[in-house]
Amino acid sequence: MIPLNWYLALSAIIFSIGLYGFISQKNGIRILMCVELMLNSANINLVAFSSYNDDMSGQVFALFSIALAAAEAAIGFAIMMSIYRMRDAINLDELNLLRW
Amino acid sequence: MAYENLAFLIPLLPALAFAITFFVGKKTPYGGGLIPIFAIAASFLISLMITIGLLQNPDQVISQSYHWFAIFNLGILIDPLAAVMLTMVAFVSLLIHIYSVGYMSHDPAKSRYFAETSLFTASMLSLVLSDNILQLFISWELVGLCSYLLIGFWYQKPSAASAAKKAFLTTRVGDVMFLAGIIVLFADLFKLVNGSIPDGVYLLRFDEIFSYIPEIAAMNATILGFEVSHLTIITLLFFGGAVGKSGQFPLHVWLPDAMEGPTTVSALIHAATMVTAGVYLVARTFPMFIAAPQSLIIVAYVGAFTALFAATMGLVMNDLKRVLAYSTISQLGYMMLGLGMGAVVGAEAVGVSIFHLISHAFFKALLFLCAGSVIHAVGTHDMRELGGVAKVMPITAATMVAASLALAGFGIPGTSIGSTGFFSKDPIIENAYLFGEHAGNWFPYLFAIVAALLTSLYIFRLLFMTFAGKPRTNYGGHESPASMTVPLSILGILALFFGAIVVEPLNKFVSGTFVNNFVNMDIPALAEVGNYELVHHAGHEPLLIQWMPVIVAIIGLLITFVIYYQKAIDMSRFVSKDNVVYKLLYNRYYQNEIFTRLFAVRFVYEGLAMAGYHIDRFIDGIVNVISYLTIEAGDSFRKIQTGVIQHYSVAVITGVSLLVILIKLVMEVF
Repeated sequence: MIPLNWYLALSAIIFSIGLYGFISQKNGIRILMCVELMLNSANINLVAFSSYNDDMSGQVFALFSIALAAAEAAIGFAIMMSIYRMRDAINLDELNLLRW
Repeated sequence: MAYENLAFLIPLLPALAFAITFFVGKKTPYGGGLIPIFAIAASFLISLMITIGLLQNPDQVISQSYHWFAIFNLGILIDPLAAVMLTMVAFVSLLIHIYSVGYMSHDPAKSRYFAETSLFTASMLSLVLSDNILQLFISWELVGLCSYLLIGFWYQKPSAASAAKKAFLTTRVGDVMFLAGIIVLFADLFKLVNGSIPDGVYLLRFDEIFSYIPEIAAMNATILGFEVSHLTIITLLFFGGAVGKSGQFPLHVWLPDAMEGPTTVSALIHAATMVTAGVYLVARTFPMFIAAPQSLIIVAYVGAFTALFAATMGLVMNDLKRVLAYSTISQLGYMMLGLGMGAVVGAEAVGVSIFHLISHAFFKALLFLCAGSVIHAVGTHDMRELGGVAKVMPITAATMVAASLALAGFGIPGTSIGSTGFFSKDPIIENAYLFGEHAGNWFPYLFAIVAALLTSLYIFRLLFMTFAGKPRTNYGGHESPASMTVPLSILGILALFFGAIVVEPLNKFVSGTFVNNFVNMDIPALAEVGNYELVHHAGHEPLLIQWMPVIVAIIGLLITFVIYYQKAIDMSRFVSKDNVVYKLLYNRYYQNEIFTRLFAVRFVYEGLAMAGYHIDRFIDGIVNVISYLTIEAGDSFRKIQTGVIQHYSVAVITGVSLLVILIKLVMEVF
């Protein structure tokens, strides 16, 4: 059996990759993908602890989280689509309509 | 005696009618006129039954009291004084409502009119039957509000709107004094019971107030170096309220302008009922007045002066309604004078004065309604354009003559022949004579008798100019409909014959208002507190004195007959801009100008503008500093909002990391 620490390390690595991508990228699609990465790293944690503690509620929670992530991704990409149609770009730096 | 259980309905029914008419009046018959008429008719019947019951058993007054809040109560007190007032108010209001159905038939906003008049009737009735001074004050203010609304009924007219404002502001001066009086009174009473009020005792109820009169009279205050009794201060403040409401000098200026409202409103509010609220207040608190040195004398002087002062102005007015307005002020002066004569005749003065109030309500309402009938038919109220109206409107003319005879006080002394006005005004003038004889001060009597002459002059001038002779301009005209002439005729009969029948019992009935199961006042003892000596009105003055009011009335009739009917003297020589006296009278002693230019403009307006300017600068400064700081802060802080999403996420992540570190540190410490 793989020890719990390995799972946690994997989760931390994926989260850090997501975080780095979220901060460094300008493309809206990439940013959304990074958000997904961060979300799923948390899911790994949930499932790992669930298995480790022999408690099913963690896995149920992960299922909810995945469903939510799917909904969020659908809305996020729909927004990106309409922005692209309107502005012909999905570079988030250029979306500063409400800035001073 | 089941009627006394219905007493609370007397003001409630018209109030209910107000609510219904106000919201759904347009859909009810006669533009909302029918519901108020039925409600007021019911109130009138209940009051009449109660009055008849009281007449048989005057000692058992109706007194019901309900806890309101803290140490105040709501209550009903129907003693003889309130009973006759209730009946009169409900009756006159009923007739005027019936008359209004005809008079207001062409007005698109008549449901608003009927709603406001029934609210007025409700508040006036509740004013009359309150058993404590606070409830009276609330109704007093409500009545003032209705007066404001109804004067400004045709608010599209600028003159009506400004007249309404003027009436409201002028009476407010009096109202503030009244309120101040109540506050001083309450403070004194509170001191007298040492701040501990037993359960079920309401300090502001009239019986409680009256029971403390000697103690309040003994409290002294020093004002401007004069030693004044607290009772004198309180009564003078109350009288200040009455001066405002009842149009006494110098706060009478609003009453003539109040004629901007519909004529029926003038008849109901500014002649018959509301303006008598001041007189009623003084009559209600009469035991306080008689125990207060100087107060009663001031009431008498102000009343007598007003009676004369207003009559002189009534002489030169050309507007039908304005003549009647000045006549009202003058007659209210008589009522105050009648109350002031309590200094020599005691509680009898209340009876005499209230009887004049009632008879005045009848004949003045009648005069106004006649004038309204003329205006309704002819469309003008300038007497110079009228003349010969009697041929077109015989019923109106006949009732007008009856009312004028009553106002001038025609009758034969010593017999029971005479108009209502004769029986009510004569005792006041005779009491003034008694006062002169007793106190050696003849001014009230002199004023009263000259005012009687002037009364006769101005009313017959009006009568001859309007109804006699030939038309001076072409006006179409017709007799008014039955809904108008029937109330006229009822009032006309009352104006002529009411007095002869009821004068003796009514005076006795009302004079006994302070001796019953509610209060039992020893008026002569109170008079001694006020340093007055009462004499018993014996009625054996010299024959000349008894005849004097009638003689001057006849002289007045003859003079006007010669001038305005036979045209023996050409009045145009006197009526011109060159005549100083005429100019003075016509411009109403320049009192409006003095009030506006000197007081309002110079003092209030400019003073307020000055004060307002500085206050403005101060408050503006504070506001400006705050807004400047906000703008500057916003200006520098908004740079934070870069609009770059990564910057935000870095901030969020940094924050979260710091939070985590912090929690970690905190957990290690504990």
